[in-house]
Amino acid sequence: MQEHVNDLIPGYALNCLDEAEANKVAEHLAICELCRDDLRAYQMLVDQLPLASPDTIPSARVKQGLMDRIQAGASKPAPEKLSVWERFGNIFRAASPAWGLASLGLVVVLLVSNLLLWRQYTQLQAAPKSDALQVVNLAGTDIAPDATGMVIISLDGEHGTLVVDRLPSLNPELQYQLWLIKDGERTNGGVFSVGPSGYASLWVGAPIPLGDYDAFGITIEPAGGSPGPTGDKVLGG
Amino acid sequence: MQPGQKIEFVKLSDDSLMRLVVLRRSEALSVLYDRYSRLVFSLALNVVGDRETAEEVAQDVFYQVWENAATYRPDQAKLTTWMTSITRYRAIDVLRKRRSRPEKDSVEWAETALHTTPRPEEGPEELADLLLQQERVRLAVNSLSSDQQAVLALAYFQGLSHSQIAGQLNQPLGTVKTRIRLAMQRLRELLIEEP
Repeated sequence: MQEHVNDLIPGYALNCLDEAEANKVAEHLAICELCRDDLRAYQMLVDQLPLASPDTIPSARVKQGLMDRIQAGASKPAPEKLSVWERFGNIFRAASPAWGLASLGLVVVLLVSNLLLWRQYTQLQAAPKSDALQVVNLAGTDIAPDATGMVIISLDGEHGTLVVDRLPSLNPELQYQLWLIKDGERTNGGVFSVGPSGYASLWVGAPIPLGDYDAFGITIEPAGGSPGPTGDKVLGG
Repeated sequence: MQPGQKIEFVKLSDDSLMRLVVLRRSEALSVLYDRYSRLVFSLALNVVGDRETAEEVAQDVFYQVWENAATYRPDQAKLTTWMTSITRYRAIDVLRKRRSRPEKDSVEWAETALHTTPRPEEGPEELADLLLQQERVRLAVNSLSSDQQAVLALAYFQGLSHSQIAGQLNQPLGTVKTRIRLAMQRLRELLIEEP
């Protein structure tokens, strides 16, 4: 049993720990319910901190701009009425300027992700092999900005455990799916659902050692999973 | 409700308004904006440091509420928590891309007194609860030492790490870590009801 990390949890909840400390906490949280409870209390506290911002009122043009913006997109169908498959199809059918912008945004996100992955990869290559568990942290996307996750890889690299927290609960017809990514090819790592707290863990096995994958990603898919990713990405790293 | 009966949006709860936002009722978003734009904008301004950018962030946040209302789960978090999470995430992202923050506006916590904040004349109970909660949080933060408030503000509003805060304040790393830890522990004692 590892030592508890209570002194580091306030900083972890604030997301102000340096990388090595954050990894240490994440690794410990995967196996310690007590520290997860401690973290939940501090996250509730962090959620309240915005209430202590000094009061300031935005100018009237913000609301006007907002209402103009939603009126401009009023013909767009409500997102909840589309299935994952329909939304996927729409991406390819639509050719409006808005989609152009969205695509540009996606390209930028992918470029940044690739740079980060490349940096992570080079760091892993440069790091001496140790007998510690390898932890890959996953970061939430715009869809689930509060979500966190990690893949803890066993000492022999053959299998691992995925731990996620603060993922939104999904409708029963949807589930989360883990993707193991190597050379651009995505392998199913398993499907899972989260409870009301957004927490879940999943044992992960793979055809090749987990440490050999370039990255991991989690998307929203129809219940039971898909042969390849089709829905929104919620976590990646 | 009878067919044709007018909905009094301003009296609806946040959850009811969000359900109407999902149904693309812009009046519901308008009421949510009136309720929470001050909270969202104040947070954004404290992070990015200039009004123009903060207004862009605030508008983006409410647009995200409009676009992603169907993903909001009231059983997971209060609407204000969801919106302020999106706000902080976006504002810090803007700050990092810009790589600097206007020096003239320091990051700060609110004064304790809320007497300038108008009490809602109409609206659901949760709005009055929010003002009471604001007062509790402000009192708690104001009970911290000024050093603790400073490091906590840099960590929360600017998303800085321990080492970055130590560098910015020219303080030993250990001192910064201790101040943040003690500040958070004190706030937890004051604000979080333990089971």
